[in-house]
Amino acid sequence: MAKRIETVGLSCFYGKTKAVDDVSIAIEPKSVTAFIGPSGCGKSTFLRALNRMHEVIPGARIEGQVLLDDEDIYAPEIDAAAVRRTIGMVFQRPNPFPTMSIYDNVAAGLRLNGVRRRSDLDSAVERSLRGANLWEEVRSRLNKPGAGLSGGQQQRLCIARAIAVEPQVLLMDEPCSSLDPISTLAIEDLIFELKDRYTIVIVTHNMQQAARVSDITAFFTLRGPGEPGYLVESDTTQKIFTNPSEKRTEDYITGRFG
Amino acid sequence: MRDQYHDELDAITTSLVDITRLAGSAINRATTALLEADLQEAEAVISGDAAIDQLYADIEARALDLLARQQPVASDLRVLITSLRMVADIERMGDLALHIAKVARRRYPSSAIPPELHATVLEMGQVAQRICAKCSSVIAGRDLHLAAELERDDDVMDDLHRKLFRVLLDDSWQGSIEGAIDVTSCGRYYERFCDHAVSVARRVIYLVTGERVTVDG
Repeated sequence: MAKRIETVGLSCFYGKTKAVDDVSIAIEPKSVTAFIGPSGCGKSTFLRALNRMHEVIPGARIEGQVLLDDEDIYAPEIDAAAVRRTIGMVFQRPNPFPTMSIYDNVAAGLRLNGVRRRSDLDSAVERSLRGANLWEEVRSRLNKPGAGLSGGQQQRLCIARAIAVEPQVLLMDEPCSSLDPISTLAIEDLIFELKDRYTIVIVTHNMQQAARVSDITAFFTLRGPGEPGYLVESDTTQKIFTNPSEKRTEDYITGRFG
Repeated sequence: MRDQYHDELDAITTSLVDITRLAGSAINRATTALLEADLQEAEAVISGDAAIDQLYADIEARALDLLARQQPVASDLRVLITSLRMVADIERMGDLALHIAKVARRRYPSSAIPPELHATVLEMGQVAQRICAKCSSVIAGRDLHLAAELERDDDVMDDLHRKLFRVLLDDSWQGSIEGAIDVTSCGRYYERFCDHAVSVARRVIYLVTGERVTVDG
């Protein structure tokens, strides 16, 4: 089931360089939270720290805490791979496993988790593809390569792959930045449907997209070149886009800076 | 595609119909209060205006939210822009009914309308109510034919309004200055009530066609 994420004083580093400074934010279950901000403000880094994808980069580390329903996901006894199963991720460019069929792309995570029985896999694949609004388009060609789909379909395939293992949280790192406007709207509709079941966090360069899809918007920025990114404010999306509390947020969303 | 957004847009139109019905009910009850010196009806209209104001604020807030978050364009944009202006007109219609109810309350237990003008004011009330009902149909159905009819219905109201002045200015008028002011005010309220309804109908024409209706006067 959807879980709550909370960060407490989270800072992210690449070697000696601090990329994100001291962010504390609570992300509620069954809602969509969008991170917006100029390039280099650390929003993607921060997102990756939420499921321990940040530390995959050599020298990368964090300070502070990330709590998933009050459990510290960076505690020594916690397995990073298990965290990433619980907190799924969809990336900027659709990245289906190129040599795998559509079916196998969706089933891959389940097989990794030990699911072997064909009927279990079949039903999970169908459920996930339906969940990603892709089933009707691909049901007759499940054995064809995933790489043969259009960009928008590939991204929905990646979403199906992510939800197949039933994560509690879905992180999306600019999931529409390589898609055309119609595919983008299809993904946005899907995000709206998925929030009934998942906690969703989306990083987007497109602040109109944040306005359309999210319940909560968090604005990140940086004080200057070379400075770490930080959280300016986080509030309901309605408040952020009609009357933000911080002038820096107002200046960014009205296009006066950034 | 974007079902939620389109549902919210449709819901604004539904709420506009609701608020127009409230204004129609208000003008109807205000007319009863005025002609029959019915204090209870007058009070009901006066306290009921809060519901109209509340719905006005609610529609405005929802339209603002959609403008800020959904980047409406083309007919969607016209729906929101016209809704914001229509709801202001309709809220004003509610206020005009409220003013009539206040005249009724001020003159209670007498009627503010002398017997010789009773029939004319009754007709004004009926025309106002009919125009308001038509106005909600125009909003709900985006019916251009009906919208055009409203202009003609309003001519009837203008004739009745002129008729009130003829009576007041005639040498045979026996009423007090205060009575004349009441009649003049109420006549003006009914006439303005219908003008706002006509303005709403014109906005619906713009909403559907994208073309502005030329306004005389």
